[in-house]
Amino acid sequence: MTGRIGSRIALALLGLTIFLALWQGIIWLRGYPAFILPPPAAVMARLWELVADGSLWFHAGATLQEVLAGLGLGALAATLLGYGLAHSPVAERLLAPYIVASQSVPVVAVAPLLVIWFGTGLLSKVLVSALIVFFPILVNTIVGVRSVGRNLRDLMRALEATRWQVVWLLELPAALPVLLGGLKVGATLAVIGAVVGEFVASDRGLGYLLKQGQQLYDTPLVFVGIGALVVMAQSLYGTVALLERGVVRWRET
Amino acid sequence: MPQDASDAARVGKDVHCHRRRESENGVSMAKPDRSLLRVERLEMGYRRPDRWLPVLDGVSFEVEGGEFVCLVGPSGCGKTTLLRLVAGLERPTSGRVLLDGVEVDRPSRSVGIVFQEPTLMGWRTVEANVALPLEVNRTPRGKALRRARALLELVGLSGFEETYPAQLSGGMAQRVALARALVHDPRVLLLDEPFGALDALTRERMALELLRIWRARRKTVVMVTHSVPEAVFLADRVLVLGPRPASVVAQVEVDLPRPRTAEVMGTVSFAAPARQIREALNRAASSP
Repeated sequence: MTGRIGSRIALALLGLTIFLALWQGIIWLRGYPAFILPPPAAVMARLWELVADGSLWFHAGATLQEVLAGLGLGALAATLLGYGLAHSPVAERLLAPYIVASQSVPVVAVAPLLVIWFGTGLLSKVLVSALIVFFPILVNTIVGVRSVGRNLRDLMRALEATRWQVVWLLELPAALPVLLGGLKVGATLAVIGAVVGEFVASDRGLGYLLKQGQQLYDTPLVFVGIGALVVMAQSLYGTVALLERGVVRWRET
Repeated sequence: MPQDASDAARVGKDVHCHRRRESENGVSMAKPDRSLLRVERLEMGYRRPDRWLPVLDGVSFEVEGGEFVCLVGPSGCGKTTLLRLVAGLERPTSGRVLLDGVEVDRPSRSVGIVFQEPTLMGWRTVEANVALPLEVNRTPRGKALRRARALLELVGLSGFEETYPAQLSGGMAQRVALARALVHDPRVLLLDEPFGALDALTRERMALELLRIWRARRKTVVMVTHSVPEAVFLADRVLVLGPRPASVVAQVEVDLPRPRTAEVMGTVSFAAPARQIREALNRAASSP
């Protein structure tokens, strides 16, 4: 077991080394200036500066706050609505065209509107993030709740289970694997939503940092911002995946 | 009702069926008697886009407390619908089901059901699956688990308490379902072709197991099956349903001594009721 983890770490380090070598190699070969493609060392130096003066934590913290609030809000709204739609085919047929239509509007296009309506503060980013998270979780909730077999429903009825017991003992656990699948996708989308919101108007966050770096041709800063976003999205995804593995252990035979 | 009259005539001819004669003559005479379950002139149908599809056409029978009754009939004749009506999972178009003299108008804990598929919750361990009915009726956890384990021992699955259903064979899963159906001590056990999905060998073993469990618990059992030998082997009485729309075309008493073992299947007293059932099925199939 430890041997396997050890070899996996070794493999990851090898991959990273190759990646950095290629990066540095391209710069040596083609002689790009630092504002086009900064060398790894310059990016690391910039990262160190941002860590040292605390601004990386400040901006990453702001984005993380928007992401978590957006993911939570979007997931909650999508789960509740999805549950209702799963149980009411009429409502689903009524709402489905609008829900699908709302998805064909790019979130990037809606973001400025949300900033006009809800200001340049936290709320507009949370809403952009929630909006982008909403759809995949909605669909997965409907699929998950509908996947509950008729016999199990009949069984619960025959046991005179209450509405709440049906949700808690049957529908939630049955739908959980699919639900967590939606949440996993949602976790990475939430990061995109928050950054899009920050691009439109903000005074903090990793999206703000990226824009700053772009305007000042501080390319190392842009790289640090992208790196921080990747780490954030990966961690969120990994957290949900871990949760998933813990919850649906029973599927493994 | 002419249907009832012809039933009674056929039954009288086919079978030595004396003790339920009074009920065959009319339901109006219903009074407190030994019967635990009464099914009175059930009619049922489904609305299809173009027509009305009748499924049950005046099904009447009674089951005494502690009796093991099998329902046999051609496939698609409405056996499962009948069982769902008895369970209160569906409402009949007309007629009624009485359990202990009370009309069944909704699903109730008084029945335990085993479906054709095991219908277990994959995310629960075996013992948690068996304890589900007790969890729903809010039995304290410790007591629920004790009862669940006792039932698992009864169905021969001690040692599998912590296993997940995905790791069980079809026969084992169905035993779990049986334990779950018994755990809250229902008045009636309804089995809907519980061994239908099992291979022949497992099926035979499960029938023996079921008899052993029935003897231990003395439950009233109504079981749907399409296997005539299985019905004769298990039941005190076999009700034969005609093709859809179904009614009871014959009742066959099985006078085999209990406890029964697999050897009983070779005897004459086994062959006779089996032949009567087959004849009734054939007669019903050939008559329009």
